[in-house]
Amino acid sequence: MESRPPQLSLDELHLLRWLTGGSLMLLAIATVFYLDIDAGVMAILAAAGVAAGLVWPTLPARVPVWAHRLAFPAIAAFFAIDLWHSGQLLPAIVRLDLLLMLYLGLSHRARRDDLQLVVLGLFLIVVAGVLTVSLLFALQILVFTACALGLLMVVTIISSTEGGNSPKLAVRGVVPPWAARADWRHLFVRLREVSDWRLLASAVLLFLGVVAVSGLLFMAIPRFQLENSLFLERFVTKKAMTGFSDSIKFGDITEISQDDGVAFDADLSDPTRAPLLPYWRMVVLDEYHDGGFKMSAYLKGKAGLGGERTAANILTGGHGTFGAPTWTIYLEAGVSRYLPLLGPFDALRFREAQNFRFSYDLGMVSLRDEPAAMTAYRVDAMAPDTPLMKDRAFSLLRRNPARVRPDKLQTQLEVSSADAAALRAMAAEAAPRAGAGASAFVEQADAWLRRRHAYSLAPRIPPGAGDPLVRWMASRESGHCELFAGALVLLARTSGYSAHVVTGFRGGTWNAYSGNYTIRNSDAHAWAEIWDETAQAWRRVDPLAGPGASAVTQDTSGAGFAGVTDRSWSARINSIRVFWYRRIVNFDQQSQVETFKAAKAATENSGRWLQNLFAQVGLGVRSLFSGPWNTARLLRVVAVAAALVAVGWLALALRRVLPGRRGARRFDPVRREAGRWLARVEGPKDLVGDLQRLRYGPAATWPRPREVFSRARQASSVRRRRPASSRSTS
Amino acid sequence: MSEFLQAERVAEAKAALGRLRTNMSRAILGKEDVIEQLLVCLAAGGHLLIEDLPGVGKTTLSYALARSTDCAFSRIQFTSDLLPSDVTGVAIYDEARKEFVFKPGPVFANIVLADEINRAPPKTQSALLEVMDRARVTVDGESHAVGTPFMVFATQNPVDYEGTFPLPESQMDRFLMRLRMGYPQHADEIEILRTARSGYDALSLSPVVTRAEVSAIQALVPQVFVEDSILEFILSIVAATRTETEFRAGASVRGGLALRTAAQARALVNGRDFVLPDDVTELVPSVLAHRLALARQSGDALEERRSVGAHLKRILAALPPPA
Repeated sequence: MESRPPQLSLDELHLLRWLTGGSLMLLAIATVFYLDIDAGVMAILAAAGVAAGLVWPTLPARVPVWAHRLAFPAIAAFFAIDLWHSGQLLPAIVRLDLLLMLYLGLSHRARRDDLQLVVLGLFLIVVAGVLTVSLLFALQILVFTACALGLLMVVTIISSTEGGNSPKLAVRGVVPPWAARADWRHLFVRLREVSDWRLLASAVLLFLGVVAVSGLLFMAIPRFQLENSLFLERFVTKKAMTGFSDSIKFGDITEISQDDGVAFDADLSDPTRAPLLPYWRMVVLDEYHDGGFKMSAYLKGKAGLGGERTAANILTGGHGTFGAPTWTIYLEAGVSRYLPLLGPFDALRFREAQNFRFSYDLGMVSLRDEPAAMTAYRVDAMAPDTPLMKDRAFSLLRRNPARVRPDKLQTQLEVSSADAAALRAMAAEAAPRAGAGASAFVEQADAWLRRRHAYSLAPRIPPGAGDPLVRWMASRESGHCELFAGALVLLARTSGYSAHVVTGFRGGTWNAYSGNYTIRNSDAHAWAEIWDETAQAWRRVDPLAGPGASAVTQDTSGAGFAGVTDRSWSARINSIRVFWYRRIVNFDQQSQVETFKAAKAATENSGRWLQNLFAQVGLGVRSLFSGPWNTARLLRVVAVAAALVAVGWLALALRRVLPGRRGARRFDPVRREAGRWLARVEGPKDLVGDLQRLRYGPAATWPRPREVFSRARQASSVRRRRPASSRSTS
Repeated sequence: MSEFLQAERVAEAKAALGRLRTNMSRAILGKEDVIEQLLVCLAAGGHLLIEDLPGVGKTTLSYALARSTDCAFSRIQFTSDLLPSDVTGVAIYDEARKEFVFKPGPVFANIVLADEINRAPPKTQSALLEVMDRARVTVDGESHAVGTPFMVFATQNPVDYEGTFPLPESQMDRFLMRLRMGYPQHADEIEILRTARSGYDALSLSPVVTRAEVSAIQALVPQVFVEDSILEFILSIVAATRTETEFRAGASVRGGLALRTAAQARALVNGRDFVLPDDVTELVPSVLAHRLALARQSGDALEERRSVGAHLKRILAALPPPA
């Protein structure tokens, strides 16, 4: 039976179109906020304008007609001036897109404008997606697609309802009837009335199906680099964001460590060989000047970091540790242009060619620009956390110290003479046995520092004249990692040892869900390295290794990895991000092969599991009925039967409780069959009567259905035969 | 409809209604369909409004029904000066008993013919409301039951509207059906011309059904089985009248109930203990048409009725009966 379901009126459809169009624009404008493009103020203006137009559909009619006339010349002029002024094409186009959206949001759109809207929105979404490669992009493109499909469907329905007579252009300055009657609450009530949950569910299923098929296609197609194909990244000038740079003021690292955001995720090919407490080195700061450490011009120069290269790989010629695991690191945007590394490695591979500088001796890789999007790189055979860093260049310098400038030797103290005297006194107190070797000095100085100062994230540097670090060292105030590291370096240099500060990250957590290391900004750390003449290497000295490390509870259970295992909700969410990086962003041919292998293994495993399950169930059933019967066995059988009955009853009850389509009821098969025969048979009256009784009569008075149906069959076959026989006789 | 009907009782009811039909068709020639609808209305315990031009047999039909049963019959000729108490009855002071005594009006009968009902003022018309709804009259706070069974048989002339008071919608809704008599066929009219004698008393009909039998039939109707898909069919028709833009307002819930009851009654009239889709479709015009008004009022009452009928026909054609 067909019943006419409630439908939306034309006015309501128009309002729905306005709603989906407005949401689509807001969604697209939102992407601009996390793009590294100077369009924040314009995005806020556009969002506010579009939102106001969306909420009050009569608002666009108040825009004066001259504004509409002037709009397009003005926008075109703005774009030309913007392009000329900024000289960057992509930001100018994004700003143009925002202006056009603002205009469309503040005018009553005709069908053509709605289609333009989809294109404008899609442009912003794609630009944001390619530039940021973030997980949010995946979500946004999904929501956007759903929204755009909805909008196009509503536009099509409206156009077919209006019989193709809808005006191509909206009349300016006149409130359309649907906008005058707009009532959001009423629309939502009506939407709830007309929406059939089955239809909604099938639409959602269809959409998910499309997404799944797209996902499969993505897995199967040959790999290519999206951003390289579109060249979009090259249109944007990158700005350095907060994070590690080649100079720090005291408090910088602590400020970074206040942020709990993810700095980078690290995948390990062999999780059982994860280091206990990894120190991720990023920047070596060797020059102390004016209360802060920075990278000297010498280290930054060709002799230090080396010249700039453009390549997709860094090969060191097998200097890594043989058999060490391979790391894949996903460095978030804005952390630094210096890449975090544990130590020497065999090879470092980027996804594509990069402009970088690399120094094997310093153990540093520096990209030319601060990456605006996530940067992924794979490091083969990277030495697991080593406290000694070989530095061939520095060993050469140390061989002939008299001929080398003291700043190259990293022993120079740029402090006043008073401060230098104070430092000497402190050094004498800290390490009385000067010249006993670096390791002995480190032990003494470390102990001295820890005796005098406690660790605190909110340090106090006593006021006064002279160098702030020396003032702090002379006091007994508490301090953070940079002060400890800096103090150690100053003490070492005073005592004649070469020393520098290293910044980077320490520790990290093991994400139990995605099986990788997650290093957060809160793990940011600074420590010192002192030249060890006997080992001919830089020895890592972390005055805070004691208290800092004690906070890390070691968990070596399970897969055998070390460190803190994170099972929190944020780890769960982060695991989705890692999945996105592993399987989507960083998805190369190797990952493709791995995925297919994993899928094959999973299919085989589940097949085997099912086979085992069936075999076990079969055995269970056989053992239930074979063998001698006793009370326990009988009880078991009864319990199983009762459980089956209960499940059946529950299923029936659920069927009754769950909402069905309006008007749809469980239809008796006898009634259905009788209905079919009634439509076909024009037989004797009593047969029709019986069929009618089976179809419409009370079940208790039914004649035997089988007999009635067989009579109906006979009657219909007689009817079929009769015309055939009459043809043959004629 | 928890209990199903016993076949014998259905057969008895069919036989009794068949006797009524045969008897009445002796007095009203060539109007079998109208007689059947009348019997449906009687079985369903509803009230009937007959609309047509004068002299086509409206009153004769009611007389024929009254004479075929042993039911008490009364006739009220509605005029513009008729008072409510003329219909319901009045309390009169009895000198001998020193109290007010209720003197029942003509409505206290089993079959009441309200002739030319639209000639009475609305006040008098509405006096009929309570009786039609509850088969009771309340005078001076005292409630009196009218006869059982009780059926109001109203007639009105749709063309001559001069000096009439059209029935309000609320009252229209209380009639189960509205029928039209129409002119008889040529052969039937010849027969009428040949045999008819003047005066209703000349109708030589004898009662063939007792009052108790009528009451028994009326008690059977609610027990006639209605399958769920039929109920949904009824509801879809009613719902369609509500979304139809040509109608000012759709059929009421009472309209849907009336359609169901009438369909049950028709099933019984045809000797069935269950309802067929045909029972519903056949009755839709007579049960629903008078409950619907066109969104665009027309001055011509006949034209309006035709238009409503056409829309209903279109709705029925668009709604396939349950298969």
